[in-house]
Amino acid sequence: MAQGKHSDEKVLYVGDSRVRQHKNSETTPRDYTAYPGKSETFIPNFLLKEWIVATVFMVGFMLLIISKPAPLGETPANPMNTDFIPMPDWYFLFLYQLLKYAYTADAYTVFGTVILPGLLFGALTLAPFLDSGEERRFYKRPIASSLMILSLVAVVYLTYVSWTHYQHELDKKNPGGKAVQEEKKKPEKKKAKAVALVAEDDPANKNVYQKSTCLMCHGTDLKGMPPGVPTLLGIGDKYSKEEITKIIKEGIGTMTAQYDANIAKGLTDQDLDSLAEWLSKQKSE
Amino acid sequence: MSNEPKKQKKEVTRRQFLAYTLGGTGGFLAASMIVPMVRFAVDPLLQDKGESEFVKVIALDKLSDEPVSVPFKMLQKDGWVEEEVDLTAWITKNASGQVQALSPICKHLGCTVNWNTEKKYPNQYFCPCHGAHYEKNGKNLAIATAPLDEYEVKIQDNYVYLGKLGPNTKVTT
Amino acid sequence: MLKSIYNWIDERLDITPLWRDVADHEVPEHVNPAHHFSAFVYCFGGLTFFVTVIQILSGMFLTMYYVPDIMNAHASVNYLQNEVAFGNIVRGMHHFGASLVIVMMFLHTLRVFFTGSYKAPREMNWVIGMLIFMVMLGLGFTGYLLPWDDKAYFATKVGIQIAASVPLIGDQIKELLQGGDIVGAQTISRFFAIHVFFLPGALLGLLGAHFFMIRKQGISGPL
Repeated sequence: MAQGKHSDEKVLYVGDSRVRQHKNSETTPRDYTAYPGKSETFIPNFLLKEWIVATVFMVGFMLLIISKPAPLGETPANPMNTDFIPMPDWYFLFLYQLLKYAYTADAYTVFGTVILPGLLFGALTLAPFLDSGEERRFYKRPIASSLMILSLVAVVYLTYVSWTHYQHELDKKNPGGKAVQEEKKKPEKKKAKAVALVAEDDPANKNVYQKSTCLMCHGTDLKGMPPGVPTLLGIGDKYSKEEITKIIKEGIGTMTAQYDANIAKGLTDQDLDSLAEWLSKQKSE
Repeated sequence: MSNEPKKQKKEVTRRQFLAYTLGGTGGFLAASMIVPMVRFAVDPLLQDKGESEFVKVIALDKLSDEPVSVPFKMLQKDGWVEEEVDLTAWITKNASGQVQALSPICKHLGCTVNWNTEKKYPNQYFCPCHGAHYEKNGKNLAIATAPLDEYEVKIQDNYVYLGKLGPNTKVTT
Repeated sequence: MLKSIYNWIDERLDITPLWRDVADHEVPEHVNPAHHFSAFVYCFGGLTFFVTVIQILSGMFLTMYYVPDIMNAHASVNYLQNEVAFGNIVRGMHHFGASLVIVMMFLHTLRVFFTGSYKAPREMNWVIGMLIFMVMLGLGFTGYLLPWDDKAYFATKVGIQIAASVPLIGDQIKELLQGGDIVGAQTISRFFAIHVFFLPGALLGLLGAHFFMIRKQGISGPL
């Protein structure tokens, strides 16, 4: 099949292809068609071996996936987060590290970001034209091979330096907890429950709450303005009547003391007491 | 393979054996890729809907035979979006103390029905869009093809709690 | 039954030669690890393709839940990973597969280089292969932003900053990549489009060319 139907054809092809073979190719190793009987059909013989390799690979791959969940930061991106050490994905590390050296930074940045990588990828892309000899064995084309090995060593070295530096920085940020930035626990599920208003027609609501300063922030429906101002629905789960009285008198967090302002509005101590009592009844169940 | 001697019936030839092994290996590869992905994709179908949460709505003693429109809020979980939605129910309590909460969504085309607003149909739910009207228990009388939906009702400590919306159970045809 | 359906189609379209050409072509012994174990180095190309298939499939399924938008991206990824059955598997496939594609492709490139397989008449296929390499790196870069966590955001910022250092047109490149003045809402939808439509489209075309040339020119001979 490789040579077509007519075996007396004068034109020789490379492999089973339609590309002409060079006549003067004594240095080029012989093509596999020179070894008759030593090839096999693609399907099923060859593909089976390929797929067995793929199966071994797949089993290892699935074990990796099952044992290690894909990392995901705990929160959405926060551009203001100055604690975070920016890091590209690992396969860009060598390019990233490259920019940290004297002749690739500051005035020479262009050299590190454009010229050097450009040369590297350009030369690699054009390799068949730069290394156009007919010899295929790598030990017989020392220039190409040594350049390649040199670049390989450089890439591995740069990646290694960049990675260890990153780990070092992480250690400095939070000593002892190397992996903290890497992977955090699954965020706890927030259970935002709809909490109903309890005892809506208690006089404390109509006569006191709706006249107090509370509703300026927490709203007439007690919903508040999350996340700054918490809802008062279900506040009874969190605080007792005494604690609520204390919060009204002294404030909490960003909330300032409201006692004087409410007295000035015409409410009495007794009113506030009934208000605190009513609020403490605001339980979720 | 053409020079292989003809095998007897039922004996597996080398080529067949290879083909079967190839099919098996390929099947394993495809399955280990596809099965998790398909399970991932059909998850909404299989996800446990769970017991719906009940929301405290109104005191039992405020209800009567006359339907009242009661607004309430329910937490709606839609994938990663959780939000409170405002809902309304028409709630009645009959003589034997049975409470029924009807959805105000007309079963015709989804307008909102009202109680006792149309003079032609006193003491009925009436939909202003296409004139569909329903009896007090939600039974459809005209236009609409199904009775009004009903919320699950739970009574606890003299309060009415509403749960999931479902088809009307009180109406017998 | 199946056979008669096949025959019915074959009578009309003559499809047998199409797949026969692929199925029956001869593969040389020197790339077969069953003959010489050292020939496993010839498997990396096939494995790269295998992981690419995994990437395409898992990516398709991930978009069923994912939203490319700064308000929802992280929440939707979090949801699909932690709440959807097998979500951690499917996302894991895509996440680790991305790294493995690069690894396998790198090894494949080295194999081709050190066996001198890129030499005449296969120069063009090497160039196509390098283009595939760059498309893959592009896919890695654009995909990294999509979960919209701190890691994604800052990695992209750094990447875009590097692109901006290109002389003369750096600022234009930066703005083109960002779709605006900052890395934000417009960046993520842009990266999503590139990651999901443009680069995969280019990749499929290049892969087609790559395989066509391999089929046409055959595997390079033994050393």
